[in-house]
Amino acid sequence: MVGKKGTSEHEVVTGPHAVAPEVIVSFLKTIMPFKILSDAELNNLGNHCRIDFFPKGARLMTVDETVITHLYLIQRGGVKAFLIDAKGEEVLKDYRGEGAYIGALGIIRGTRANLNIETIEDTFCFLLPREVFLDLVKNNLAFSHFYLKSFSDQVVSTAYRELRHQKVSMRPAEELYLFTITAGDLAKPVEKMSVKSRIQEVAQQMARLKIGSMLLYDPENEEDIVGIITDTDLRTKVVATGMDYHKPVENIMTMPVHSVLSEEICFEVLLKMMAIGIRHLAVEKGGRIIGVLTSHDIMVLQGSSPFYLFKEINKQRKMQGIYPIVSKVPGIIRNLIREGGKAGSISRMISLLHDQVVRRVLSLLEAEMGEPPVPYCWLLLGSEGRREQTFLTDQDNGIIYADPFSPTQKQQTEAYFQEFGTRAIQHLTKCGYPLCPGEVMSSNPRWCQPFSVWQQYFTSWANDSKPEELLDATIFFDFRAGFGDEKLAVSLRNHLIDILPGQEHFFYQLARNCLANKVPLSFFRNFIVERNGEHKNRLDVKLRGLVPIVGFARLFALKHGLKETNTIARLEALQGEGYLPMDLCTAAIKAYELQMQLRIVHQLEQIEMQQAPDNYIEPQNLTSTERAMLKDAFEVIEKLQALLERKFGIS
Amino acid sequence: MLHWLRPKSPLIKANRNYFSGFDRKKPLKDYSFVVFDTELTGLGSRRGEIISIGAVRIENLQIDLGATYHSYVRPRRMKHTTATLIHRITPEELKNAPEMEEVLPAFLEFLGNSLIVGHCIDIDMKFLDKICRKLCGGTVANPTIDTMRLARGYQGKLSGWYHDHGSVDSGYNLRTVSQKFHLPVFTEHDALGDAMQTAYLFLYLVKKFRSGGLETLLDLYQAGKAGKWAGEV
Repeated sequence: MVGKKGTSEHEVVTGPHAVAPEVIVSFLKTIMPFKILSDAELNNLGNHCRIDFFPKGARLMTVDETVITHLYLIQRGGVKAFLIDAKGEEVLKDYRGEGAYIGALGIIRGTRANLNIETIEDTFCFLLPREVFLDLVKNNLAFSHFYLKSFSDQVVSTAYRELRHQKVSMRPAEELYLFTITAGDLAKPVEKMSVKSRIQEVAQQMARLKIGSMLLYDPENEEDIVGIITDTDLRTKVVATGMDYHKPVENIMTMPVHSVLSEEICFEVLLKMMAIGIRHLAVEKGGRIIGVLTSHDIMVLQGSSPFYLFKEINKQRKMQGIYPIVSKVPGIIRNLIREGGKAGSISRMISLLHDQVVRRVLSLLEAEMGEPPVPYCWLLLGSEGRREQTFLTDQDNGIIYADPFSPTQKQQTEAYFQEFGTRAIQHLTKCGYPLCPGEVMSSNPRWCQPFSVWQQYFTSWANDSKPEELLDATIFFDFRAGFGDEKLAVSLRNHLIDILPGQEHFFYQLARNCLANKVPLSFFRNFIVERNGEHKNRLDVKLRGLVPIVGFARLFALKHGLKETNTIARLEALQGEGYLPMDLCTAAIKAYELQMQLRIVHQLEQIEMQQAPDNYIEPQNLTSTERAMLKDAFEVIEKLQALLERKFGIS
Repeated sequence: MLHWLRPKSPLIKANRNYFSGFDRKKPLKDYSFVVFDTELTGLGSRRGEIISIGAVRIENLQIDLGATYHSYVRPRRMKHTTATLIHRITPEELKNAPEMEEVLPAFLEFLGNSLIVGHCIDIDMKFLDKICRKLCGGTVANPTIDTMRLARGYQGKLSGWYHDHGSVDSGYNLRTVSQKFHLPVFTEHDALGDAMQTAYLFLYLVKKFRSGGLETLLDLYQAGKAGKWAGEV
C-alpha cells in the first residue's frame, strides 16, 4: 500500500497502467520464477490478479474435470494433491504450501487438471488468469525455462541463492534430455488409416494398438497425410455430440497436421506444442511423416515428474523395461529439491517410487513363476521399512509366508520362495539397488521363512540377546509390508507388540546402543566433526545426526506399542499420545528433517559429479545459517540422549 | 450554507433510484462489493475530518487487485492532532493532497452501485454521509455490511450463542479479529491497508459462513445482522 502513495496523492487505480497493491507485488517478488521479472512487469501482473479464499477442505480441482482458468499462487495456507486409485482409495501425491503454485502444468499443456487439489488449511490464493500466465510463458524465455524444468542461468542462480539448495550443481546443458534428444529419437512409429475409414474402425484400431492418436491419409496416396484424430476428438466430437460413428473419419479429423522436423530438439518441440496449443505433432523427415510425438512422451523422458515416472513403472510389461527407470529417480528428486521440497516429503516420494519398482518386479515375477503356493508378504526392512531412503540404499528385505499344512507342501513352498527370492534380488540388483553386505535379503534362506519362524526370531531378540546381536537386528524392527499379503506383516507386528511389554532388559540394551555413538568429537570451528582418519574434519551426518534420532524414536515407539515405522511418524505419535514432551518431539523432528535435507542435497551433488554418494559433510561448505541450525540439531540430540540416560539409568 | 436545502446532485438521485428497486435475494457472488476505510483527524463527528480514503473492490467474491482506490484529503483545519500521528501521515503530505470537493466525486464513482463493506462501518458512514450531504445535498443509499458484526455472528455460531449481539468490545477490532482467524496481516492505520485487511476478513467470514448455508445477501444479514438495509438510511 505504501508503494502506491509514493506515486500520486490521489488516484483511482483501475486503468491498465495503474499501480498494483503492494500485497501482490511484494509476494511475487519472493517466489520463483516471478522474482526475475521487472517491477513494471510485476506491477502489470498484479493488476490482473484476484485474491480468493478457500476454507479448509474445499476442492479446487478434480482430475480430468476441472478446466484450469487461473494459475493459483498460495499466499496463506496449504493444499494436498492426490489421486484416487482403482480401489477408491486416496493416493497422496504432494503437499503444497505458501509460495507454491497450482495448475501451471495443465495451463501450459492445455489439459484439464491432472491431480485432485484440496485445501488442508484455510487458504488464500492469488489467481492469475490463464491467458496472462501463458503470455508470460510464451514471451519470457526465462519464465518458460522455469516451468519446463530447464535451466536458464538466471533462474537457476536466483533460485539456488534463495532456496538454500545452492549445492546442487548445474548439470551441463549438453547432458540435458531436452536439449539433446531430438524429435526423431522419440517419435512413435506411424500408424495411419484412410480418411474414408469409418470412425468406429479407427477407434477400434486405436484401442487395439493402445495409442491415443491416428494419422489419416488420402486414399489416393498413402504418403499424403491430411489429418489426425485423437482420443479427444472421439470424446468431444463423437460421443459427446452423439454423432453416427459409421461416418467416415474425415468428418471429425483435425487438419492440417502440424509437424516438426525429426532433427529438432525436444525443447523446441515443447515450445511449438505450447504455442499452437496441441499435444500431438507429426515428425517429418525428408518430406515424409515418420512418426508422432506427444507432450506426454517428452515429459516422461524429461523425468521431471514423479507422477509420470510412477505411471511409467506401472506400464512396464517386461523386466528389462524396469531396469533403466530407477536411474531416473535422482533427476526427479533434484527437481523436488529445487522446488523447495522438504526432506520428509522427498524421502516419502523416493519410497513411493521404489515401492512401485518392487511391486512391479514382484508381480511380473509371479507371472513368470506361476502362482505362489501359499500367501506371502515381501518385507521391507531398515530405511526402506521406515520410508526414509535417500539414493539407492542397500537392499534390506525378507519374505514371510503362511505356514504350510503338510511336509510335502512345506518342501514345495520352501523351494518356490527360495527361487522367488533369489530371482527377485537379481532383478532388483539389475535395477541398480546394491546388495546388502550383511546379506539381509530374501535370497538368504534365513530371511525367507514362514510366519512361525519369523515369530520365533522376534521372540528371541526380545528375550535374550546380546547387545551386538541386537545392534544387527534393529533394522528388522522397522519392517513393513512391501508387496503381497499385508495381513502377514500385520500379524507379525501384533506379535511383536504382544511380547515386548515388560522386556526391560531389551529396552535397556536398545538405549545403550542409542548412546553408543556418543564418542568424543572435536570442535572444528565450532563444529562437531570426525577427529581422525580418512574423514577427518568432516561430519558423518548419518551416524552422528540421524542414527541417534532414529534409534530414539524406534525405542520409544516399541516401548509404547506404536505400529508406525517412519521416524517422523513415530515422534508425532509419541507426542500425540503424550508419551514424550511436545517441545522435545517437535525439536527432534526439526533436527531430523534438517539433517536429512543436508544429506540428500549432499548425495545428489555427488551423484551429479559421478561420485558414489556418502554421508560425509564438510562444514566449510555449509552456509552460516545451516551451521547454526546444525548446531541446534546437535543440542537436541544431546537432550534426547540425556533423557535416555535418565530413564534407563545409564551413566 | 444550510446544506439540507441544497438540491440533491444527479449522482445521488441516480444512486437512490437504483437502490429503491434493489434485489437482495441474489447469490452473494453476483453482487459487487466495495470495502472501504477512512482515516480521520479525530473521532468527534463535529470537528473530525476525513484525511484519507482507501477502498478495494470485490467481484465474484474475489478481491480484484486491478481495482483499488486510495487518496489523501486535505483537511480544512490543519493541526497535528493525535490521529494524524497514529496514521503516520505527514502534514506535508496532507498539505499537497486534493480537497474533499475533488476527492468525493471520484470516490463515489468508484463506489458506484456496489454494496459497502467495512469494519465498524457505521463510523465511516457517518463521516461519508456528513460530507455527502454537504457537498451533494444527500446521502448514498448503498446497503452496508459491517464485518465486525459479521465476525461476532460467526464467533457466536462457533461457540453456540447465535443471536447475542452485545456492545462493541475491543476483542473485535480489525487487527485482533484478523489475527484470531490467522489472516495475512497488513499495515495498520493506513486506509488502503485497513480496507485490504477488511476485504480479507470479509471473504473469510462469508466463505466460512457459506458452508453453513449462507447463499444470498438476505442470508448474510440474518446471520450476522450485519449492517443496514437499503433504504433504511
